[in-house]
Amino acid sequence: MSKLFFDQLLVLDEVEGEIKKIAKTQEEKEELWGLVDEMVHHRVLGCVLDRLPRENHEEFLERFHASPQDESLLGYLKEKIGDNIDELIRQEIGDLAFELLEEIRAEKK
Amino acid sequence: MGGKLPTQTYQGIARDKVDFDYLRNRLKVKHFEAKNAFSKKYPHVEKFLKEKGLDVGKIREHSAKIIGAGALTGTLLLTPPTGTKFLPPPQEVLEKIREKASAAGLPQKILVDSLAAVLPEKTRPLNRSEEKYLERIFEDILGIKTKANLEGEHLNTSYGLIGAEQHLKRYPGDGIGNHAPYLKEGIAPGLGAWGYFARSRADLSPSLEETEKWYAVVQTLYLPDWSSRQPYLRDWYKYRKVLIVNTNNGNAVIAAIADSGPAAWTGKHFGGSPEVMEYLGGPRYKKGAVVLFFVDDPQNKVPLGPVEYNKINLPQLALVET
Repeated sequence: MSKLFFDQLLVLDEVEGEIKKIAKTQEEKEELWGLVDEMVHHRVLGCVLDRLPRENHEEFLERFHASPQDESLLGYLKEKIGDNIDELIRQEIGDLAFELLEEIRAEKK
Repeated sequence: MGGKLPTQTYQGIARDKVDFDYLRNRLKVKHFEAKNAFSKKYPHVEKFLKEKGLDVGKIREHSAKIIGAGALTGTLLLTPPTGTKFLPPPQEVLEKIREKASAAGLPQKILVDSLAAVLPEKTRPLNRSEEKYLERIFEDILGIKTKANLEGEHLNTSYGLIGAEQHLKRYPGDGIGNHAPYLKEGIAPGLGAWGYFARSRADLSPSLEETEKWYAVVQTLYLPDWSSRQPYLRDWYKYRKVLIVNTNNGNAVIAAIADSGPAAWTGKHFGGSPEVMEYLGGPRYKKGAVVLFFVDDPQNKVPLGPVEYNKINLPQLALVET
């Protein structure tokens, strides 16, 4: 199962819609999807690590490496960070969506 | 004098190709920046992951491998899935369903209640016993034999969110005007994962017409063995029939897989044609939880389209025609 613990927080429908308009083949679509996916991973992990105390980084990474799909990781992060990590990740992804849409729309001009 | 001047040869390059290449390059630059910024800020994380042989950008593949291995050994998830319900033996569940049916309940209500008894609140991959239950329930109530795992093939998840898709081009030159009555959904600019359904309008058989009308989208691209088992998997999934059940209202439809997606970062797991979505949830239905199983139909007797089980009398359940 290709699933990550933060997948439920990702909603980039608009970006997908724009990519579909530009990519003409499945290969092109998947290539662009892959690039976005990798950016999402970097941004979400960055968002998490920015807030997680340094002494918890290894423990989090061990758990994430062992079970990247495990949604209880969100519970772990809530406990360690104290903030509403769900909302912070959503916000980070929202920012990324905004930037990506800017790129795509600039390309169309 | 024929042909183009050397300064005009750029006109031969397809505009959409330029669009794609330009966007790909822009995204690559942005991707590189994100990767670079991450490496600079978290060198200890990079080091840790490198030692584990893991690249942040490839985490999804890593996850697919872990879950794929878990599914093979029967332990789908390393930790118990959230929302697992205690399930009595299948026979007991089915007896209860029959009791309810004989008490003149509506089959649709019985199906919804049965699904609620088995499914967790939030969508997630189901374990084998949950899937077995659902297979029995679908056969008993809908009269359709389904399998979450058919001929050894299993999707990454059989319980997820479905999203609305556009029509697909069936042959070169096909346009939205040929897809009445669902016109406002539009037609996808690109082709489905299996290309055109027919070489020309004349070659479009009624069966292929139905296939596009009742098509489903599943995430074949994220299957852990998708690349290593080609062309077998590509052929196996092409127009493979699936049963899609809206877990909130019990509406069910048989669809054919005709495209691959949606992207993982949309939060959705499946897609449905305008016709599929309309039947599952009405004209304003754009996204919702569904169960999606393969139809076990070696004789190809189950037709595509709505499963109108409210209108049939299933002797096994002693249901009254409604």
